[in-house]
Amino acid sequence: MIFPKWTNSLPLALGVIAALTGAAVAAGVTIYLTPKYTRAGYQPVQPVPFSHKIHAGQLGLDCRYCHNGVEKSWFANLPGASTCMNCHNQVLKDDPRLQIVRDSATNNTPIPWVQVHKVPDYVYFNHSVHIRRGMSCVECHGRIDQMEEVSHAKSLSMSFCLDCHRDPAAKIRPTDKVTELGWQWSTNDEEAAKLQEVNGKKFVHDWKVETLQSCSACHR
Amino acid sequence: MKNNLNNSTSPVTGRRYWRSLDELADTPEFKDWLHREFPVGASELVEDGQSRRNFLKIMSASFAFAGIATLGSGCRRPEEKLEPFGQQPENYTFGEAQYFATAMPTRTGAIPLVVKSYEGRPIKIEGNALFPGSNGGTDRYAQASILDLYDPDRARHFKHDGKVVVREEALNFLDELSKKFAANSGEGLAFLSESSTSPSRWRVQQNIASKFPKSQWFTYDAIDSGIHQRAATQAFGQPVHPVFHFDKAKVILSLDCDFLGGEDGAHEHIRKFAAGRKAGQGMSRLYAIESLFTLTGANADHRLRVAASSVAQIAAAILGAVISGQTPGVTTVPADLDLKWISECANDLAKNRGNVLVIAGQRQPLVVHLLAHAINTALDCIGNTVALIPGTDNRGGASGQLAKYLDGHAVDTLVILGGNPVQNSPGQMNWAALQKKAKTVVRLGYYEDETAELANWNFPAAHYLESWGDATTSDGTLVPVQPLIQPLFGGLSELDFLWRILGQSLGSILAVRSTHGSFVDGEQWKKFLFNGFVAGSSKSLENVKMVKSTSALNQLLVEAGKPVLSASNLEVVFFRDAKVDDGRYANNGWMQELPDPITKMTWDNAVLVSRKTARDLGVANGDLVEISLNGQKVIGPIWTQPGMADYSLGLALGYGRERAGRVGTGVGFNAYKIFSGKYIETGATIHKTGETHVIACTQDHWSMEGRPAVREANLAEFTKLPNFAEEMHGKEPPIVKSLYPNPFDEAKKTALHQWGMAIDLTSCVGCGTCVVACQSENNIPIVGKDQVKRGREMHWMRIDRYYTADPKKENPADKFKTDEDQQFSEWIDDVQAVNQPMLCQHCEMAPCESVCPVNATVHDQEGLNVMAYNRCIGTRYCSNNCPYKVRRFNYLDFNKRPLSELKGPIYSSAMLGHKTDGELDILRWWKDPNSGMRSEDEWDLIKLSKNPDVTVRMRGVMEKCTYCTQRIEHAKIGQKAKAGGSDNVRLLEAAGTIPKTACQQACPAGAIVFGDVSDPESAVSKAKAQPQNYGVLADLLTKPRTTYLARVRNPNPLMPDYREWPHSFEEYEQLNGNPFDHEKKGNG
Repeated sequence: MIFPKWTNSLPLALGVIAALTGAAVAAGVTIYLTPKYTRAGYQPVQPVPFSHKIHAGQLGLDCRYCHNGVEKSWFANLPGASTCMNCHNQVLKDDPRLQIVRDSATNNTPIPWVQVHKVPDYVYFNHSVHIRRGMSCVECHGRIDQMEEVSHAKSLSMSFCLDCHRDPAAKIRPTDKVTELGWQWSTNDEEAAKLQEVNGKKFVHDWKVETLQSCSACHR
Repeated sequence: MKNNLNNSTSPVTGRRYWRSLDELADTPEFKDWLHREFPVGASELVEDGQSRRNFLKIMSASFAFAGIATLGSGCRRPEEKLEPFGQQPENYTFGEAQYFATAMPTRTGAIPLVVKSYEGRPIKIEGNALFPGSNGGTDRYAQASILDLYDPDRARHFKHDGKVVVREEALNFLDELSKKFAANSGEGLAFLSESSTSPSRWRVQQNIASKFPKSQWFTYDAIDSGIHQRAATQAFGQPVHPVFHFDKAKVILSLDCDFLGGEDGAHEHIRKFAAGRKAGQGMSRLYAIESLFTLTGANADHRLRVAASSVAQIAAAILGAVISGQTPGVTTVPADLDLKWISECANDLAKNRGNVLVIAGQRQPLVVHLLAHAINTALDCIGNTVALIPGTDNRGGASGQLAKYLDGHAVDTLVILGGNPVQNSPGQMNWAALQKKAKTVVRLGYYEDETAELANWNFPAAHYLESWGDATTSDGTLVPVQPLIQPLFGGLSELDFLWRILGQSLGSILAVRSTHGSFVDGEQWKKFLFNGFVAGSSKSLENVKMVKSTSALNQLLVEAGKPVLSASNLEVVFFRDAKVDDGRYANNGWMQELPDPITKMTWDNAVLVSRKTARDLGVANGDLVEISLNGQKVIGPIWTQPGMADYSLGLALGYGRERAGRVGTGVGFNAYKIFSGKYIETGATIHKTGETHVIACTQDHWSMEGRPAVREANLAEFTKLPNFAEEMHGKEPPIVKSLYPNPFDEAKKTALHQWGMAIDLTSCVGCGTCVVACQSENNIPIVGKDQVKRGREMHWMRIDRYYTADPKKENPADKFKTDEDQQFSEWIDDVQAVNQPMLCQHCEMAPCESVCPVNATVHDQEGLNVMAYNRCIGTRYCSNNCPYKVRRFNYLDFNKRPLSELKGPIYSSAMLGHKTDGELDILRWWKDPNSGMRSEDEWDLIKLSKNPDVTVRMRGVMEKCTYCTQRIEHAKIGQKAKAGGSDNVRLLEAAGTIPKTACQQACPAGAIVFGDVSDPESAVSKAKAQPQNYGVLADLLTKPRTTYLARVRNPNPLMPDYREWPHSFEEYEQLNGNPFDHEKKGNG
């Protein structure tokens, strides 16, 4: 006997193992190789220990004070060091942590901030139209005003974009509340959700907000 | 993850690289870096190195080394930096384009421009639509000139005797030069420049003349456009420059003048010509007498095919007939000419007294120009269709005089400003030898070209987008030339250079501003720069009378002679090439790859001959022949051109460059070798060498085969049957019931706009500006001659040119043959030509969409057939299924690989066996995966030229016209952002918010109209509502969004070559029957 009896069950066993391995690989890829896992949570160390929590949260600076391109351009803009110096020529004037900022403002050399949020090159995201049409910063960036060091809060994957593009009513808010990251229709969560549903639909209708899902909306 | 304050290093500017893993691993910083997952300022650790590949190597090595890697972070994309300004500039928003008004100087004028700039990089040239009379159109050269700015082969260094010297040293040399010649009042100093209309250049020229009184100034242009002014000055007895108003003329006669193609200012002529030829709204009529088949001839209602050297006689005969009203005598014109053609043409001119425009070509001798002015004067047209403006002064001697001067005088220093005389001076002159007679040759040049090689000092010239300057347009309006970017390689503008020689380092802005005293007031200067012109600075002269007498003309006519041409006495016509000009755009890939508007030839010039000439000489397409003229010889390939005059050879100048650069060196043959300075010469002979040459032509089919792609009618028939084009609609397949509903029908109900385009074939002259504009806007790569030959050119837009002929002359079977077999068919002798811009038709029922297996091409709700590049897997099914053949596939990595390296390891048909430089490609690739890729510095420069709004496609991806979706999206986003919390989101023509596509914007004729077809008030809706509107191949039920307005011709019924319908219609009728005879058509 060349093949002992136990080899009869070998094909089945191999099949089961292959199926399990395949499932594990598939599951692994779906979980670990998606932007939700690979991007969300990314928190690089920045050259200047700038705290959004202090500036945007405690001091209540409007996002647009520094990110002044956000209503005009696809790019929100990173402030030049001269913008920082508007306050920091008085506040923390000699703090060593701000040396690089002072140098930058004096010599007009850039501060090499590390990019946190980035969509692929073939995606043409535009800040201005989202911000001006009642889509808050918080929907993509999370509670920046509570972050000491900025981290990547949402996945920013294509399905993430499409969730909202399919149903903008779920996220849209009054245009003057866009930069108030903690804003809700009501302090009561349940009521807030209810109001969002009613008002969201109203805004989408009144402002003629499109549910853009065609390729040309983002890819050019 | 902790903040580490100590690693805040000061950032360095410029490119930063890794050097090597070993070097890096030894540094204490590296060890520190290992403890942190994402190093801050890591890239500053070493100052030099190679690429991202090494970066990744180090990344992975470090993870393995330290054992702290996680799967997630290993997959993370490489770290990128965002580097904001140190001092935020005012009024600047990163990411939004800026526009600046400037102008491109030409030989006898300037093209007013508005240039789009992103983050300090000019990326797209557009015409200045604010300029009086302009519609924002430009010409091919202006569109392509932006590529020269980023040409990796442009002169980058200051050189002395071939060695690179630092900028300061070179400038010091100029200072010494200045001192030296100030001491001897310029004895032995000579300048050679190209002509210019810049008042500032003229001022510095005058200053040089007064500071160095003994210096000499010469001018040379290989293509001489100054003859229009010289002839008018002679004719009218005072310095005047003619401005031609084709829009005011009812009848136009071109005496071998390619005013729509090869002449300076063609884009203005096209604009005015198109304005005077709107179907059904008072169309002008164009008669063309020419030897080459030019764009002007292709757009003429009547075309007379004659040798260029006999045009003078014919012009004289017409003048005689116009004055006397008599049919010209047999003796006055070439023997085989149809006298009725001439007398009826003269009658038509005489009938339209006051509304006639006769124009002579710049390649024709003075006498023809004078005859044209005489006819215009006889018919009271001066001041109406021909306006005269004050001419510029005679700004320097001709180069022929310089040759004599160099021979007879001891020239110490010869300063050559631009130009390229070693390449483009007449072959007989032997400029290369002459130039050596000067002790020192100083050259300011854009390229290190043939002339630079023989110069002692070479200064890199700045591009016009890098320089301050000024110019006057052909109608005399003053325009500014302002820089969009600092000179990329520290080059000097002509003004900078000349002022330096004058011993004054005037900032170049001052060199311009101080020329115009009236602009000292800052506001006026600002307005000048903002508008890009000075309104009202053009003044035409009144009451100027012709002073040249008829007897003087007769004398000149006798001198011109009456050559009799034959196979052993051929005529040679040298012409300005539609692409490389006089050779200056030879290294411009867009221009080399643009199909010639008539021959559709790329990457070559050829000896253009007629069928009869080819037969008599026993030559065929591609045969290499040696042309002998005046003892000089040159070898070039034969190309049979339909519609050419017999025994006439057409030679395009500007090819055969020896030191043009990576793109242009060795392309074509150098016709300057037999050029003597005269553009029309007789006495040439041809000798067959026995060798052949392959020509890459993008359209190897001349005939439409009777199909109604282009539909035409004559004006009279169009008036009777305005919807003739619809009647030519083919037989539609019967529709039973759609298998499944088109999802687009549902989607379009809620869309804000529906985009569409209409192209007016009566206005379109086929100049090709749109093709280059599209290439510039959409980051379209060039592919090289070899790939064009394989039909792989990437142009999203092409211009189809078809020849049609009298079907009775034509053997019906010939229609279906390729040109290769047709070059000896008689039907190609007297042809009509039609042009048709062909681009993605954005079919509502797109055949390409239904066959894409991955949904990479789908419709959006506004009617665009969109292409998602990142989804495309390159099956090419869509291209197979496209009836218009407008889809383009990236067969190779056209962006990252230079043309010479396209046949890299994986691409070769020989696959593993292919060798480059004697080494197996696969081995090369194994040693260095980047072998054959563009070098980093070349790639950097190319990246600068790309439009950031459009994805740069890579190998294996299909692409095509998108109706400039990036412009549409930009406009929509702008409108929505403006609307904010309101419903004012629709783009409206009335509000001026509809975007223009790149082709539409660039079109000098205004033939392309794009807009919202769901708005009945939009221009495109109105165009499509015209009766002559039709869709190409619409009988396939593709429902194209791009439609065409059929072409209307306006022939004269009295002419001998008159036919009731254009040839294309006759061909159609022969194949399909009369479209108006519905019973016979049986189209049930």
